[in-house]
Amino acid sequence: MGRYIIRRIIAAIPVLFGLSIVLFAFIHLLPGDPAAALLGQHATPELTAKIRTQLGLDKPLYEQYLLYLGQVLHGDFGRSVINNRPVLSEFAIRFPGTVELTLGALLFAVGLGIPLGRFGARHVQRLGDGMVTVVSLLGVSIPIFVLGLTLQYIFAVQLKVLPTSGILDPRIDIPAVTHFILIDTLLVGNWGAFVDALRHLILPAIALGSIPLAIITRITRAAVLDVSNEDYVRTARAKGLTERRVDDRHIMRNAWLPVVTVIGLQIGGLLAGAVITETVFSWNGVGRWTVEAIQDHDYFVVQSTILIFALIFLVVNLIVDIGYAFLNPRIRY
Amino acid sequence: MPRPQTLPARPVATRATRGLWGDALRRLLRNGPALVGLFFIAVFVAAAVLAPVIAPFDPLAGKLVDRLQPPNAVHLLGTDLQGRDELSRILYGAQVSLVVGVVSVLMALGMGGVVGAAAGAAGGRLDNVLMRVVDVLLAIPGILLAIGIVAWLDRGLPQIMLAVAATNAPIFARLLRASLLANRDVDYVTAARSIGASKMRILLRHMLPNSLTSLIVAATLALATAIIDVAGLGFLGLGPPDPRTAEWGTMLTDATQFLRQAPYLIFFPGVAIVISAIGFNLLGDGLRESLDPRLRR
Amino acid sequence: MALLSVEDLVVHFRTHEGTIYAVNGVSFALDEGERLGLVGESGCGKSVTNLAIIGLLPKPAGRIEAGRVVFDGQDLTRLSESDLREIRGRDVAMIFQDPMTSLNPVLTIEEQMVETIQAHRRVSRADARTRAVELLTMVGIPDPAERLRSFPHQFSGGMRQRVMIAMALALKPKLLIADEPTTALDVTIQAQVLELIRDLTTGGGTTLILITHDLGVVAGLTQRINVMYAGYIVETATTTELFGRPSHPYTVGLLHSIPRLDEGAPEELIPIEGRPPDMRHAPVGCPFAPRCAWRIDECWVVNPPIRPLVAGTPVVATGPAATHRIACHHPPTAAEAVVGRPLVPGWVPAPPPAGRLDELSAASGGSPVDGPEARS
Repeated sequence: MGRYIIRRIIAAIPVLFGLSIVLFAFIHLLPGDPAAALLGQHATPELTAKIRTQLGLDKPLYEQYLLYLGQVLHGDFGRSVINNRPVLSEFAIRFPGTVELTLGALLFAVGLGIPLGRFGARHVQRLGDGMVTVVSLLGVSIPIFVLGLTLQYIFAVQLKVLPTSGILDPRIDIPAVTHFILIDTLLVGNWGAFVDALRHLILPAIALGSIPLAIITRITRAAVLDVSNEDYVRTARAKGLTERRVDDRHIMRNAWLPVVTVIGLQIGGLLAGAVITETVFSWNGVGRWTVEAIQDHDYFVVQSTILIFALIFLVVNLIVDIGYAFLNPRIRY
Repeated sequence: MPRPQTLPARPVATRATRGLWGDALRRLLRNGPALVGLFFIAVFVAAAVLAPVIAPFDPLAGKLVDRLQPPNAVHLLGTDLQGRDELSRILYGAQVSLVVGVVSVLMALGMGGVVGAAAGAAGGRLDNVLMRVVDVLLAIPGILLAIGIVAWLDRGLPQIMLAVAATNAPIFARLLRASLLANRDVDYVTAARSIGASKMRILLRHMLPNSLTSLIVAATLALATAIIDVAGLGFLGLGPPDPRTAEWGTMLTDATQFLRQAPYLIFFPGVAIVISAIGFNLLGDGLRESLDPRLRR
Repeated sequence: MALLSVEDLVVHFRTHEGTIYAVNGVSFALDEGERLGLVGESGCGKSVTNLAIIGLLPKPAGRIEAGRVVFDGQDLTRLSESDLREIRGRDVAMIFQDPMTSLNPVLTIEEQMVETIQAHRRVSRADARTRAVELLTMVGIPDPAERLRSFPHQFSGGMRQRVMIAMALALKPKLLIADEPTTALDVTIQAQVLELIRDLTTGGGTTLILITHDLGVVAGLTQRINVMYAGYIVETATTTELFGRPSHPYTVGLLHSIPRLDEGAPEELIPIEGRPPDMRHAPVGCPFAPRCAWRIDECWVVNPPIRPLVAGTPVVATGPAATHRIACHHPPTAAEAVVGRPLVPGWVPAPPPAGRLDELSAASGGSPVDGPEARS
């Protein structure tokens, strides 16, 4: 088992390497003159020269790459051209917001998706399953921004039960300690603010989680159906076990495997989707920051987001692989 | 007295392929949801193709006096913030979505297919290297990759096509490679090899046709995501460079400001996107069921 | 009193393409301690019959349309699911064909055996575990205590089947149904597993139904044999009678398509022409007619009921004196049975009536690629 983990980690190294090259190229190989593109309208001769030396743009490419690697490994992801603050610290402030949104969406997708999938499998070829399939279809066909805007319109504008956007009522002031709004509200004991923050989280989480919900539902349903037709399920019934036991120990225990894998893969999609969701709901997170950065040609910011999101995705995939091996005794032994 | 029977010498593989398409078409036409999907796609394509003919107004021209009218007798779907006719903009928007969607999926098929086929057919080190490249692309999740590419290359229709193609290409690469690997050791390929067929011939006549079915399904489903991705880019302000262009995603960005006053401006482009996506998703699922040779009856 | 009595059992499957007439009126009985063989080719309905007995037909497609299954005085077809569940595993146990897929891959052997025991007896886990060790020893698995903690994929096929047998006999069931228990195993292992089944069932007085398509398997193990074809029982007799005086054309055909070492001069192997019938159509006339060398006109029209071979003999359904019965209008004579083909000079099997010509041509061959499409 330990060897399997090490093998997987080693397999990930070339990908990390390739990723770093791609991101290096993103800035150092910008079409045209990188320095001018980076500075955009802020370009002055002194600043341009400064950027050039900072990035080593006059040196040979491989030297630039080594310089870049060194900087990244030291946590130097460049500075934002807008406010000249280090990108990494700006990222750290906004990242918790994205994490909260992503976790909320994941909770929604898994919490609703798995039961829905099981329900669909149990009622296969009947009305219940048909409805589940429709939900699944809509989930993948309705883009996040369309769903988000629609939810906003129905619940915020018409029914007025939930807030339109933002992470917290602007009138409430909470000191930013961890930058996790849910934690920060609890840290100062402001229960009302905590609830308010949760209310702000609901619509964005649903919008972001819609696609993973659809996929998890589909996979769970398929996995349960597949496993239900396996011989060992028939054996279990022939032994006289209760249907409940057959369901839990024999069907679900085996159906979990592909479902868990899929959940892990959805994390990447969630991170990507966060970009759009944060824009629709004016959510204070890395995604919205990145979109603004693109419009401002703030390339260091965009690069850092891509790098960190990709890293997270790779790590999650690694964890999923190891988790799968753990759950499936055929690989473990 | 029982008489021995002689069987005609026909290679099962070829016969199976010819029968497969006819069978599949028949099954597809009996599949309810797939027919609904085809209908939606037909509406979508018709809108795109017939836009110049049936659009009542010029999608780019609008008078501020006419702005933000709800649906009425003159402007069937209302007008937008610039006074432009919403119906005409939706129809022309279909053109952008259709063209960009189809071209990007074709590009993705080409790029991904070549890489996947090369990796699958060649094996060994080339396979390893190519798959690592694919892995790197896959490590950058979905729309982030598209955003990155458009940010890097600046806005423009070709750039958008390339960006959306890049998000789908790795999937095709992996698919083709897996399909080739699975088919490599199949009996009829070994049989063909044993009678001296060349590697290229084996690839073209025997292995590819069988990989074709999963590609077709994947491409159809990829069209659905391509349409959504294109609109997504538009929504984020990375759409076609000319801000007046009628593109569904960009139309939604404009409409966000007027969520309260003019919700219909969100409804119509939204419905257009969803219907097109549903169409390709349903068709893709239908194709998957009817093209699966194991389900042949 | 018969332990098990199956009466006029009819099972249909509803599918996308229509109904499949899997079992069409099967009746047989079993005394306690008897060992019965159910023989037939794939698709003849033998496995379906047994799934129907314990109520495990795949839902929602499979349904018992008619008939009764009386086990130990109770009609199983009328019982509720929870009552059936009590009987399964405790009174009636089943082992299946493919040991590779019949055990849950993510649970240890111990967990799977203990749950069987605890499902029907209130015993502690420790006691159940002890019993499991006993059972594994009984079926000849070395180092049983250690192996309890293994997973199924760590066993070989033969060992897995032994585990299945151990699980089946855990609660000392009255009836054991073995559905092709050795088909998926190597020949040498087959013999071992069959011997194990024989020893355990005769030793414990367990009633056995052995389902197989292999006549060699039933020869050494069973006391009586039912031969099935297309969802009907076409011949039933004691094992010695069946091998000594095979009477239904299908049985005759089966016996002549197996090479036998104990016969003097090597004789020609006579394969049975044609293919099994399409179970999607309700049968008209004798289902074996298209492939039968002894058919007469009546065979195409009337499905022969199962009757004693010697007309007028009183019917004894079970036991060593069971009557030899067949369902045939024009059975082969003893001499023809020995040779394997009709001996009347100039004999031509009755041609099919108009409208059924295609059954004949499909049954007598043609390219396998052409077959089903030509018929539809």
